[in-house]
Amino acid sequence: MSLQVKIEEREPGVYVVSPDGEVNTDTYLELENKVKGILGKAQALIFELKDMTYISSLGLSVFFRVKAALSEKGAKFLWVHPQPQIQKVFDVMKVLPDAMVASLEEADEYLDSFLDGVQRGEIDPKTPHDQGA
Amino acid sequence: MLLERRLPNRLEHVNAFIKEALDHFGRLSLPQEDVFPIKLALEEALTNAMRHGNRLDPGLFVDVSVVLEGQRLVMKVKDEGAGFDFSKIPDPTQQDNKEKPNGRGVFLIKQLMNEVEFFDGGRGIKMIKFLECA
Repeated sequence: MSLQVKIEEREPGVYVVSPDGEVNTDTYLELENKVKGILGKAQALIFELKDMTYISSLGLSVFFRVKAALSEKGAKFLWVHPQPQIQKVFDVMKVLPDAMVASLEEADEYLDSFLDGVQRGEIDPKTPHDQGA
Repeated sequence: MLLERRLPNRLEHVNAFIKEALDHFGRLSLPQEDVFPIKLALEEALTNAMRHGNRLDPGLFVDVSVVLEGQRLVMKVKDEGAGFDFSKIPDPTQQDNKEKPNGRGVFLIKQLMNEVEFFDGGRGIKMIKFLECA
């Protein structure tokens, strides 16, 4: 029932957070504390969920808090590859459905377009868009 | 009776109990699609009892039981707190409530279990899961 959290900077300001294991009553703070360490410098966070086997409501709270913190500063939150049982929990709880993308490549394409738009002044990062949360 | 325990009101006991319960479920050869919701409902009920019911008071206890009745798994969790009005729990999927931390656990339990009822003024919750095979 342990949790390992790997964080990789995919490109400047874009981080991939990969929880491996269970995000439950015992481990949710470990995930939250690790993510807090990069929130200040993140323009986008992508949660790679292929190895996350379980999540409880305390774990869901971490996702909501991270999303709120990123939205406040106009950064993006995306997630990919949830296992079926996790997807079911997300569906039931209506967890940020607009933040799901099919692959890291799709996340890259979306974020490249988003960040280019912000740099050119064509996109206000704090305004909701049709993908990403 | 599969399991009956009186847990000290400390969160580290939640997953220790769940691990013990999973060992029992393993002996029953429950399919994974049943184990996941049962495990999640147990964690939510126990965590709610300790955090919201007993308000993390380390001097209190939570009683939990897991009983197999034919094809039904009946789980009861009861705290020693003041109770609560379960009709006032907000729907966490509504836009206005999505950022609020309360209500997600009970909502999940209701979605994952076949029957849910509260008793003893909201101090207790009874959860029933119909099993695919037992």
